[in-house]
Amino acid sequence: MLQLESTNLLVQETFANAFATDYTPVSLDRTITDFDFTTYHVSTPETKTKILISISINCWKDLAKYGVLDLLTSKYSKYPFIQILADQPEAGYHFSLYIDLEQASFENEEAKKELISELSLLKRNCFAAPFLKAFDRYAVLSKEQPADPNNIYGEDSHHNTNEEVLTINYRDLESIYITPSNDRVTVIFSTIFKDDTDQVFSKVFLQEFSDARKRSIQKAPQVINWHKEIPLEIRHLEKENTDNKTYITFVLFPRHLSTEEVRWNTITHIQLFRSYFHYHIKIVKCYLHQRMRFRVSSFTKILNRARRDVDEEEMRAERKTASGRRFEMRA
Amino acid sequence: MMISRNENERVLIEPSVNSVRVSIKIKQSDEIENILVDKFTRFLTKRAENFLILRRVPIEGYDISFLLTNYHDEVMMKNKLVDFIIEFMEDVDKEISEMKLFLNARARFVAEAYLSVFD
Amino acid sequence: MSSTTPAVIMDNGTGLTKLGFAGNDSPSWVFPTAIATRASASSSKPSAPSKPSFLSSSTSNSSSKLSGGNLSSIKRDMEDLDFYIGDEALEAAKGPSYSLHYPIRHGQIENWDQMERFWENSIFKYLKCEPEDHYFLLTEPPLNPPENRENTAEIMFESFNCAGLYIAVQAVLALAASWTSSKVTDRSLTGTVIDSGDGVTHVIPVAEGYVIGSAIKNIPIAGRDITSFIQTLLRDRGEKDTSLKTAEQIKQEFCYVCPDIVKEFNKFDSHPDMFAKYMVETVSKSKIEVDVGYERFLAPEIFFNPEIASSDFLTPLPTIVDQVIQASPIDVRKNLYKNIVLSGGSTMFKDFGRRLQRDLKTLVNERVQQSERLSGTKSSGVAVQVISHKRQKNAVWFGGSLLAQTGEFKSYCYTKQDYEEYGPNIVRNFSLFSVP
Repeated sequence: MLQLESTNLLVQETFANAFATDYTPVSLDRTITDFDFTTYHVSTPETKTKILISISINCWKDLAKYGVLDLLTSKYSKYPFIQILADQPEAGYHFSLYIDLEQASFENEEAKKELISELSLLKRNCFAAPFLKAFDRYAVLSKEQPADPNNIYGEDSHHNTNEEVLTINYRDLESIYITPSNDRVTVIFSTIFKDDTDQVFSKVFLQEFSDARKRSIQKAPQVINWHKEIPLEIRHLEKENTDNKTYITFVLFPRHLSTEEVRWNTITHIQLFRSYFHYHIKIVKCYLHQRMRFRVSSFTKILNRARRDVDEEEMRAERKTASGRRFEMRA
Repeated sequence: MMISRNENERVLIEPSVNSVRVSIKIKQSDEIENILVDKFTRFLTKRAENFLILRRVPIEGYDISFLLTNYHDEVMMKNKLVDFIIEFMEDVDKEISEMKLFLNARARFVAEAYLSVFD
Repeated sequence: MSSTTPAVIMDNGTGLTKLGFAGNDSPSWVFPTAIATRASASSSKPSAPSKPSFLSSSTSNSSSKLSGGNLSSIKRDMEDLDFYIGDEALEAAKGPSYSLHYPIRHGQIENWDQMERFWENSIFKYLKCEPEDHYFLLTEPPLNPPENRENTAEIMFESFNCAGLYIAVQAVLALAASWTSSKVTDRSLTGTVIDSGDGVTHVIPVAEGYVIGSAIKNIPIAGRDITSFIQTLLRDRGEKDTSLKTAEQIKQEFCYVCPDIVKEFNKFDSHPDMFAKYMVETVSKSKIEVDVGYERFLAPEIFFNPEIASSDFLTPLPTIVDQVIQASPIDVRKNLYKNIVLSGGSTMFKDFGRRLQRDLKTLVNERVQQSERLSGTKSSGVAVQVISHKRQKNAVWFGGSLLAQTGEFKSYCYTKQDYEEYGPNIVRNFSLFSVP
């Protein structure tokens, strides 16, 4: 598995079942998790045909500031059988949708699939709010002051410092900062590696992230690797790097923000960056384990070769003991 | 007796009445190799029971130590044991550099794969 | 941080893996413990020929074997990302390019490379959680070597950096799961667990949370044998559809345990409505009707009268249970008889527990009477109680869920800090959880 999926498989499965024509309603009460301290709760509090799905997100306060409620309302209000409980969500959660299966009807299979996928993308939809806000602001700015067409790659890093930096503290000590300007949107991630090994590996990865674009993928966002230094754009927000954070900047160019579809694609991927990054570092360690296991067994073989021939016979005898055959004889 | 190519790669051989202790310092030129060597030797020593001659704790200043006692000499052939240690030294260096290469290659691949979806 | 996230429960069995979160009443995922890897290169040799890269997969696929020099293998070695687990693995293995492996044999992990990847996919794809944020509860079979625990911990902490880890013995969790039954009054961790899955049935005595290893017995009769027994009966009768799947369905829907086979035969003969019909939907959408007859009660009967299906193994389950308890220390025997807990899918037959209890009681009473006759003193009697409950099917997982949702759970876990401080051997001992 190379890419992490942005949909939540469990939510997807739950609703794919629930909206199926041969669904026998059952009572549900399930907790489901997602990356970055996101928790879903799927339950049927009143009757079996009404499913309540609630989401709780660590950084909901930040998201709410950037209009997550409006976004979610616009996403789900077109379905008449979904009741949006924005003002009084389920206790302990931040946002709830109440879905009445009996009322549910779809024009065709496509529409059904779309809703199922929108529900399983609930986390992404929440995280999209600040990004969309920044993208809109970029649209305004770029009209006010059109970008210099000769400077699409943005070598000149002159920035409008008065622009508001959108901050999402998506994990307790780790944050995303988004700054729109007239020719780009800058997204900065800060992340922490608790493990020393991860820390070292992350440097290699980050180096490659910032080099990758130069080498082959010109169309990708520009990546600036800051290591432990605090990027210029957020110096006024973070004074000191006390927690040994690693910073990485993505510069999204107009081509990543052009159409609605492209925008969503960008959001989908960028909001998963941290998980993707950490995931692959773990995978590397798994792979190294595999190699080391292989090495250990080959070393053992070499070492066993050093045993005297007499012992090899004895070893064979020993092996038989393990299978229980010669046990009696030797004893 | 100490054999060393430079400060970072050296082998210490200490003979005594009934045993020989061989300690190896594996080449580590940077942080990454450092951590890889550490991981690898930890992995090996955890499985020390399979390596009759491996000491669980290396002596200070070295990454890994073997202890060859008269008992080992009885059950194993001397020249083969020497072969093993030499082969071990060669393989470890090779393995570490391969792991490092792999890490770089993987990082590059992962980065490219991530960035290419933005297209 | 990880104090708010639910703990992850992973119960990796020989046949099925159950994954889910603490507090839920059923596992979120149940799928085969199977992994499908690329067939071309053997997974035992990671530095072997390379895998086609993601970017140039179409062209290099066939040529990779030829050009698999050492250098290119390092450059584009993506083999370790190219695999599937669970149901997807079964699906992928149908194609030519993947081969299927079962990393767990007889309850114990055999192939660590595959298991590590199985976990990797379980966590990141199916459960979608960052292991750094969650505590994990894993299960192990009774008599698991401590080295296996260490290896597990090594993977969980070093590869995945999971926040905390607890490894529990499956039988103990099954006991904990029985606390939901109304019959259980004192929540003790002493009892006999009958764990019958697909491959094998274990009878495991547990005293105060510790497995009495010397007394464990295995019975080579389990779900798979029942299914194939049904299949044989269907074939003998010449039913139109005798596939394994049909037999499996019949087992799950129609089978029950009867108190007396002879009477049950008579009942069937005098009441033809006892015979059931099962509809099979074939691939071509046509429906075939299959008669379900005596196998309704005969199939589960092989636990109690093994001679009807097998010629090698002839000891009935109640006798085995009795032997196991008799082999345990004398001071716990009474409690072992009093608390016999069922776990696993093959104990789900209706009245399974009742029949077991009756047969076992007969055995015990005979012995008590005999000793009374010989000694001339009056015995206080031995209570035999078999506990069935609703969560039997995934009892181990459910027990884990119950335990892991308690507030104290995290204090029993070892954290990554503990692991780094004391090394892998700390996981050799876990303190037992007390009764919540």
